[in-house]
Amino acid sequence: MKKVFALLLAAAMLLSMAACGSSGSEAPASAPAEASAAEGSAAASAEAPADSEVAAIQAAGKLVVGITDFEPRDYKNEAGEWVGFDADMAKAFAESLGVAVEFVEIDWDNKIMELDGKTIDCVWNGMTLTDEVTSAMECSKPYCNNAQIVIVPAAVADQYQDAESVKGLNFAVEAGSAGEAAVNELGATATPVKAQSDALMEVAAGTSDAAVIDSLMAAAMVGEGTSYADLTYTVGLTTEEYGVGFRKGSDLAEKLNEFFAASYADGTMMKIAETYGVQAAIIAQ
Amino acid sequence: MELILQQLPIVIGALNVGFLQTLKLFFVTLLGAIPLGLLIAFGSMSKFKPLSALMKTLVWVIRGTPLMIQLLIIYYFPGLVLGTPIWGGGEGGRFAAAACSFILNYACYFSEIYRGGIQGVPVGQEEAGLVLGMTKRQIFFQVTLLQMIKRIVPPMSNEIITLVKDTSLARIIALQEIIWAGQAFMKGSQGISGAIWPLFFTAVYYLICNGILTLAFGKLEKKLDYFR
Amino acid sequence: MSILEVSHIRKTFGRTEVLRDISFSLNKGDVVSIIGSSGSGKTTLLRCLNFLETPDEGTIKVNDELLFDAADPTSMKESEVRKKRLHFGLVFQSFNLFPQYTAMENVMLAKKLLAKQEPGYSKEKLAEIEAQAKDLLRQMGLADRMDNYPHQLSGGQCQRVAIARALALQPDILCFDEPTSALDPELTGEVLRVIRELADQGHTMVIVTHEMAFARDVASHVIFMADGVIVEQGNPKDVIDNPQSERARAFLQKVQH
Repeated sequence: MKKVFALLLAAAMLLSMAACGSSGSEAPASAPAEASAAEGSAAASAEAPADSEVAAIQAAGKLVVGITDFEPRDYKNEAGEWVGFDADMAKAFAESLGVAVEFVEIDWDNKIMELDGKTIDCVWNGMTLTDEVTSAMECSKPYCNNAQIVIVPAAVADQYQDAESVKGLNFAVEAGSAGEAAVNELGATATPVKAQSDALMEVAAGTSDAAVIDSLMAAAMVGEGTSYADLTYTVGLTTEEYGVGFRKGSDLAEKLNEFFAASYADGTMMKIAETYGVQAAIIAQ
Repeated sequence: MELILQQLPIVIGALNVGFLQTLKLFFVTLLGAIPLGLLIAFGSMSKFKPLSALMKTLVWVIRGTPLMIQLLIIYYFPGLVLGTPIWGGGEGGRFAAAACSFILNYACYFSEIYRGGIQGVPVGQEEAGLVLGMTKRQIFFQVTLLQMIKRIVPPMSNEIITLVKDTSLARIIALQEIIWAGQAFMKGSQGISGAIWPLFFTAVYYLICNGILTLAFGKLEKKLDYFR
Repeated sequence: MSILEVSHIRKTFGRTEVLRDISFSLNKGDVVSIIGSSGSGKTTLLRCLNFLETPDEGTIKVNDELLFDAADPTSMKESEVRKKRLHFGLVFQSFNLFPQYTAMENVMLAKKLLAKQEPGYSKEKLAEIEAQAKDLLRQMGLADRMDNYPHQLSGGQCQRVAIARALALQPDILCFDEPTSALDPELTGEVLRVIRELADQGHTMVIVTHEMAFARDVASHVIFMADGVIVEQGNPKDVIDNPQSERARAFLQKVQH
């Protein structure tokens, strides 16, 4: 028994490494399964409905949404309830499916593992649609705009007003973020840290020259009247779009696109956006 | 300073919630690992070779790999590889997975301490009991056990104090213990962001908790000081 | 009638033959000293008598009751062995007192546990056991040491507690395994005095010892062992003062000078 467990552990290590290497490979795997279903095999046809995640979610009665504490997308209000533009949209989407919604805080680094391991059903937390994300997840259409911008101490801001001038700086960026990709493209040196807020702290502490974070976060956290009054933002490096991620091959993504379209058409989406001050960033559906 | 005073009640409230989770994981781990460790210790001392080899392999694997990897594998392996996420995504499931990993990990460490404790009691003690017509059971409970406990208290107290701090590793599977709660204020939570002091504040919780444990173990050691 | 009859005991550890064809018998009240150089098998023989080792061949009888027969594996069942052990008491070279118990508790423990298994265990019974333990410790000259823990006692005092502990179960035969070898020379006297008193009271005893003067004085019978066999046995004066075999002569010359 214990030896079996030891073997399992070893196998798990190998498999999880393999999974990290090719997260996208699961999508084609479902295709042969559908083909065999067409051949009329009893076992395969019994599995066929299980392929529909919409059906599975409705059978389970709840949609598990993976989030982090990230105002104004997902955060807790004073009553301890999850609110925010993304949280409210997720609630409305779940309601349209006729299921309850459950918010689960996850470690952002593990979002793909959480999704593939079926511990959550989607990632809905102001997620930038990078190549890494779109190759590993079934993503919705983009619904929000964002930009990656450079943060420097306000005192030296006038020296760094264009992309050329910031090339020689040491950047702090969130590991795996769109900001990291932007800095790499720029060819500057980047120190990956755990979170966007850590990147800001690096600059405030002087351990890095500059940080790259997204503009929504920057608006909330940098400049006069915020925690980082001595920092300011200068150059915008790239613009980008937010989307919602589902398991590869999930039909929930298409379902959400339909929901976004309807919600945009009847004005609900804009109304929710106005509540949280993000209406300018909304993308027409 | 004034700002910090304003934020203090919010931060303390969040840290208390996190610390409760830390304490829960700590006690559940002790409750599971103390007896499981004894079973593993007896297993690895068994005269039945396959069993003892198995237990020794288990202890080698668990002690030879980082607890963090064990947490990741135990939580994600069932859903990721076997396709059945037995733990679920909710807080309860994450706690259960964390508790399982910690119990298994600490049971292996405890088992080695027990083994040292049992084998450290001179064989003459058992023989003296035998020639006095005592049963093996009586010898264990009336003679060996207390001597063994006396031997294992110092290494166990070390290990248990380490456990208090190790619980913070559980946040790798998003169990929201006290460090997670403190870090939330760096990222921004409940209107407080970029604040590092709540994280330093968590240290106070650990210090108090380990202070109490150190005192308790000191008392226990003193209590067992009446014999040698 | 002999109280103890040991016949043709053979014991091997792996390929080493530690005991070979050991036979001797004891009458009630006999005191036997077993002498010989280290490695001659004396201690193993005592351990066989106390069932700490299982002989490969031979039989052990006490009061004509067959306690052990190497040919009959059922005679070695643990629950059986436990009862049979009570015919013997053993005092170890290194005392092996239980460190977490006082002198009193050390003496009482086994008897108390036995009494608890029998029906009708009561406060009176416990008081009886206590009184007996006190008597024994007094007899050992430890009246003022009853509540001390072993680490608070000298080696000689520890060994006297150990003797009281063995006597508490009233064994038919009391065995001593080099009872003074772990003691400082100035402490051996008090232990030997106690053993001599026990001999005078008529206890049947088997004593493995290196104290030749003591053996000659106290023993009614001396066994000289070498390489796992009994080379010579008989009256102490004959064996010690006038050994017949070359090996016994060589050994005695060495230890007496």
